[in-house]
Amino acid sequence: MTLAASDESGSDNLQQHWLHCMAAVAGQRDKASFMQIYDYFAPRLNSYLHGLGASPALAEELVQESLLSLWRKAHQFNPDKAALSTWLFRIARNLFIDAMRRQPNWLLSELDMEEEIDPHSPSGDSHADGLKVQQAIQQLPMMQAQVVYKSYFEAKSHSEIAEELQIPLGSVKSSLRLAFQKLRVFLGQAEGNPPHGYPDTSSKGEPS
Amino acid sequence: MKTPIRRQNPLALQPNHHPDDATLVSYAAGGLATALSITVACHLAICPRCRQRVSEADALGGHLLSHLPQQSLSAEHRQAMLDALDKPAADEPAAGHRASTAIASKETSAEADDLLPAPLQHLLGERFSDLKWSTLGPGMKQVKMHVGNSNLRLFKIAPGTCMPLHSHGGSELTLVLRGSYSDEIGRFCPGDVADLDPEVEHQPIADRDQDCICLIATDAPLRFRGIVPRLLQPFFGL
Repeated sequence: MTLAASDESGSDNLQQHWLHCMAAVAGQRDKASFMQIYDYFAPRLNSYLHGLGASPALAEELVQESLLSLWRKAHQFNPDKAALSTWLFRIARNLFIDAMRRQPNWLLSELDMEEEIDPHSPSGDSHADGLKVQQAIQQLPMMQAQVVYKSYFEAKSHSEIAEELQIPLGSVKSSLRLAFQKLRVFLGQAEGNPPHGYPDTSSKGEPS
Repeated sequence: MKTPIRRQNPLALQPNHHPDDATLVSYAAGGLATALSITVACHLAICPRCRQRVSEADALGGHLLSHLPQQSLSAEHRQAMLDALDKPAADEPAAGHRASTAIASKETSAEADDLLPAPLQHLLGERFSDLKWSTLGPGMKQVKMHVGNSNLRLFKIAPGTCMPLHSHGGSELTLVLRGSYSDEIGRFCPGDVADLDPEVEHQPIADRDQDCICLIATDAPLRFRGIVPRLLQPFFGL
């Protein structure tokens, strides 16, 4: 099982590129820059939404809605808080949950909103190291990789994964927990280094 | 359509017990049953530690998304996208509604204490004092909610009430909203989440000073039909 394609040594350049594109979209309403984002992300969002179980028609509709949301809310994008891919992931996931569960989008988007109004909110993944995340993913043991895959790309619950893989529920939780603990080191602030002096009950040290 | 949400005072609560990382990751991945997702959202509203973890899990989602293989769209999709850019947004919620959800600072602390967590207000109204409890047994009352195909309920346990010894067959999350209880694992106070592995047996006892109100979410039993169903009965087999 491969979670992703090969290494992208140019991933930092790519991140920089998206920042320029987003600045042009937000500032000048630049359609050419927007379409560069579209050309890269639309087929990947389509892939993501298919995996979650959206029909081809719904997937295409949600791809367009996701990117339209990016176009309309570009001025709210804050690269200090999240990478563009993270932002798009949240948008597409929330739209999918809205569409499939017919639940109002307050469940998850409520939180995103809070991040926006909270001046002390964590700075998210702006320092995520794409290459190291990718290497760490590729080094995950099979079971952990499967559980991550089924969680993110099929939106399966712990119980559903336990049933499919014929393993105890506790093993699903521990596999996911272990995988995340390995990956989160590269996904932003490491353990014990809370951002912006935010109180963290799990760490005793003062943030640097 | 959306009614403004009133918030509890987030500084009043400092959780010591948190959801398992596996639960936070599944929340970010969109894999939690709705009831569990709501319960996590109530905890996140007051827990910066867990908000940070969820944003890291979102970043993992973003990373995975940008490395997915491409699945091409229909030929017309690109042009339709370009055309859509020029259309005005249809009934987008006004930007103003965000501001209205900030904490109402004029609330007295007693009024603020009566507010339910924001994610529950959509289901139950704003206030604890307006809840319609039904009696379940000596010292126990509940309010049941229907959310998708998972179970969410509020439990109110009289001071000193001892619950039956039990374990958790499926996924179950308990969030303390008021009062406190103690069990083999520790003392759980408002904002704390018990996210127990299924094999853990425990016997919570409500602390003696006041009623303990908990939000309890379980996966829907129907989703696991055929797989050890007797273990999957929610708390108290309801």
